[in-house]
This record gives sequence, structure tokens and C-alpha cells, in this order.
Amino acid sequence: MTFAQTPEELAIDVRDLRKSYRDVEAVRGVSFEVARGEVFCLLGPNGAGKTTTVEILEGYRTRTGGEVRVLGMDPAHGKRELRERVGIVLQQSGVQKDLTVAELVEMYGRYHERRRPVDEVIELVELGEKRDVRAKNLSGGQRRRLDLALALVGEPDLIFLDEPTTGFDPGARRQAWSTIRSLCALGKTVFLTTHYMDEAQHLASRVAVMNAGVLIATGRPEELGGRDLRPAEIRFTLPPGWSLGDLPEVPSEGRSLEDDRVIVLTRKPVLATQRITSWALERDVELGHFSVSQPTLEDIYLELTGPANHDHVTEEAVR
Amino acid sequence: MSTASTPSLRRDLGLVGWQIRYEQRAYWRNRGRGIFTFVFPLMFLVIFASLNRSTRLHSQGNILYDTFFVPGILAYGVISTTFVNMAIGTAILRDDGVLKRMQGTPLPRWAYIAARIGSTIVIVALMTVLTLGVGVAAYNVHIRGSTLPGLVIMLMLGTAAFTSLGVGVVRFIPNSEAAPVVVNLIVLPLTFISSVFFPTNGIPTWLQDIAKFFPIRALADGLEYAFNPHTSGVGINGADARTLVIWTAVGVFLMIRFLRQPQGEVA
Repeated sequence: MTFAQTPEELAIDVRDLRKSYRDVEAVRGVSFEVARGEVFCLLGPNGAGKTTTVEILEGYRTRTGGEVRVLGMDPAHGKRELRERVGIVLQQSGVQKDLTVAELVEMYGRYHERRRPVDEVIELVELGEKRDVRAKNLSGGQRRRLDLALALVGEPDLIFLDEPTTGFDPGARRQAWSTIRSLCALGKTVFLTTHYMDEAQHLASRVAVMNAGVLIATGRPEELGGRDLRPAEIRFTLPPGWSLGDLPEVPSEGRSLEDDRVIVLTRKPVLATQRITSWALERDVELGHFSVSQPTLEDIYLELTGPANHDHVTEEAVR
Repeated sequence: MSTASTPSLRRDLGLVGWQIRYEQRAYWRNRGRGIFTFVFPLMFLVIFASLNRSTRLHSQGNILYDTFFVPGILAYGVISTTFVNMAIGTAILRDDGVLKRMQGTPLPRWAYIAARIGSTIVIVALMTVLTLGVGVAAYNVHIRGSTLPGLVIMLMLGTAAFTSLGVGVVRFIPNSEAAPVVVNLIVLPLTFISSVFFPTNGIPTWLQDIAKFFPIRALADGLEYAFNPHTSGVGINGADARTLVIWTAVGVFLMIRFLRQPQGEVA
């Protein structure tokens, strides 16, 4: 398809990007690359410089320093060719409220040289039933799906999604995820920012964490911050009468007791689980709430983005 | 279409045409907006004209008040459909993020604004026909063939000046909730001293000087000149036309400044 006509390998190439507002440096030398066909996710707390970075890539803001290429072009030049090939879902942006879903998709489609059929786009975002409803009468989630439809109608090669599922209920979020995954199946590149770790976990092929204007970690979601190298946690409760000392020897990095809850940190979770469970079965000991878990992306994220959040980490881990 | 136009320009002009249709469709779906635009001038027309029925204005060469008043209402209608609607509408589009969204599409910004202006011209034309229709049918207004060029040119200049100023002024409107206040703060006082609803020969000279500096007076006077039965020639008052041209230049300058500003930097 059109894919073959575009020679560049990288969808996005950012080198030493900087942006200052008066005396505040919001982005302080950020570099990363996004390959074509990748779902790249930028994570970070509020005020980390995410939106500034995204909006520079989208051409909404000018940069103070560094080099940026989006589909081989400099977004600062505001070229129409680039806008033909990029779809943008902003965090918040209105539409002409008095027009219907179908009219809006048709209207935004006209701006593009190549475009998808209106009804195909409406079906893709599952707004078929709302086709002839005016934008002002849509619910929040429906509006967000309309945003996605308007970004997709021009057959973009690259799609920016700035917090696309904020305010969605869990069902709607799953639905949006499946839509986004179907974009990847079409060979599109997706640049995603989100607050939701499960969203990054589900969708992203690569994650970058931004904090205070710099990138502090980049990697696949399962490897970020050495997540795959961390010990797993085995947790369970012991019935009354049993103590930590009664447990068998297992390969572990440490074990502890919090109230009646045992936590075993181990790099050999399979072996350790087998030892503990067979010990329990032999003695007919009922282990409650038994679970084995790798640190979640959220644990790693909170660890990376600041010690102030450490209380939060344990709280999340207990859950 | 001229042979000089490139295919892409032709395509863009086609887009402007389509966009005007969408703007119009959206415009007429919002009933409140239509009422403001059309009912207000007509309401003023009926009220003021009824109050001053068969009064003659010595200052204007002993013409009937209706003959003076209908062009004034027309001027008011032009200002409210162009300046007021454009400024408030654009401020809302900016605050809602529609301008930002449009900026991210391949539609050139000039094409979008051209379509908004085109849509406004359609509304001005309808408002003009309606106001003059009522004026001719119910009041003593005569549209003379000889001064028709003056009427049309004044309407065009007024539309150009007040539309561009309407977009240009948005830079000075902090948010869309403040828009009606800011706009009325500009329009209302000037309207009362600009010979729109009643002749202002009697007001202090310094007030008249202020009015003469701004374009509302020029449009009201220019239209009244075109309607005045004593007017000879094609009905163009050079001084009024010049004022409107100068304010159009100011408006276009401000409009371009506003359009060049990237929407992301505003936030």
C-alpha cells in the first residue's frame, strides 16, 4: 500500500529536544526513536513535559532546541504533506457541535487527499448507532470515539493519541483498546500518552517514562526498569498455629511476615511455589490468598518517578 | 475558473465551498443564533420606526425618519452578523479547541477562515434582503437604481471591515465567556454615538470626533447617503468608503496576526 512509497524507517526521530517557557525548561534534552508500526507509549506524571513533547511532534508548539523528524519531516514547518499523514487525538478538543457524527466524519475526511469511506470509519469506532446524532448529544465516551474517528478518516500512517481513554468506563476502555490494536494490524504507528499503566501494558510495544523534562527509562513494558529481572513475590496467609519458621527452605531473596501475610521474594518463582505448596499439602495446611506476581508496570513506574510515591507502591502491592 | 489556477488551489477553493456548506448547516441548526441575527435588527426596525412615524429630520434635509432609520438598522445588522458573530463565534471555537483541531488537519488555515467569512457573507446577504424587504414593504424606503452601486459597495466594504475586525479582535478576548461583554463594550457605545439609531448632530463635538474615527459611523453614514433621496450620482461617499477601507486593512492585519499564532502556544 502507501507504506511502500515512504522510504524512511523511523516514524519519529527526536534528538536532544528542548523547550523552555521563559525561565522554565519544560523539556530538557529528550531523545528517542519510534519505528514504523510500533505502539510507543509515553508515560509520566502531570507536569513531566509529556504534552509539551507531544505537541511539538504534532506541530502545535515550537521547540527551543534539538532535532525532530516526524515521518521524515520537521513538524515545525507545518507542512500540509505531514498533516495529510498524521492523525491527532488531542487530550481535549471540541468539534462543530451542531453537526452529526456522519457529517463530521465526512467533513474532516474531505480535508485529506486519501480517505476512508465514512461508514467504514464510523463502524471501526463503533458509533454506527449514533451516526445521525449531533456531536453535542453524545456521551463523553462516544465523543472520544468520535475524536478517534476524525483522526482515522484521513488514512494516517501515524496516529497521536493523547490520553485517549481518560474518563472511560472499563468496558469502553477495553473496546477502545481493541480498536487501537486493530490500527496496529493495519500497520499504523501509534504514539500514545496515558496515565493508565494497564493501558500501556496492554497496548505498547515500547514504553518511555518521562519525569521533570527528561526520559528516565525506555523499554518494552515487561522489561522496563529491569522489571523482568526483579524477584517475583509469593504471597499467602498462614493459618493460626503456624509461623514463618515452619516453612521449608526455598530459593529466595528474603521473606517476611506482615500481620498474618507471608511475602517471599524469589527469582525462582516456579521452584519456590512448588516447594511451598507441596509442604502445605503434605501437612494439610490451608494457605489463604495464595498469589505469585512479578512487580507490575505501575510498581516500576512509581519507583521511577519519585520517592515521594513509595508509600503508594506498597499500597498498590498489597492490593 | 481561470486557467492560471493550479490543481491544488482549485481543490482548496472546492474545499472552501464545501466548508461554507457545513458552516451554514451548523449555523442554521442553532436556532438561538438565527434569532439573534435576524430578529434583533427587525425588532429595532419596528420599534424605532413606530415611535417616530412620519417624523421628518431637518438635519438630514427634511427626509422621513424611516428613510434615515432603515439604513441605520442595516448597518447595525451588518455589524451584528459580522463583527459580533465572528468575534464571539471564533472565541468559542478557540476555547472549545476546534481551531486547534482544524490546525492539525490538512485544510489550510486560510481556507477555513475563508469559509467562515463566506458563510458570514451569505448571512449578511439574507439579512440585507430581509431588512430592506420589510423597509420597502412597510416603511418609506425606496431603493433607487442610480445609488444602488453605492449601497452594494458600502455593504461590501462594511462586511469586509467588520468581519476581519471580528476575527482580529479575538486576540484581545481572554475567554469565550468574556466575549459578549468585550464585544458589546466595543459595539454598544459606538453605536449610540454613530448615527445608527438616530441622527447624532446634536451630541458634543468630541463625541462626534470619536465616532468619526471608528468604522460604525462610516458604515451608517455611507448607507444613509446611498438611501438619501437628495443624493446624486452613484451614492458613494468617499470619506466613509476611505474609513472603511482603512479599518479593513487594520482588521486584516489583526486577523493574520491571530491566524499565525499556533493554537498550542496559547494554552
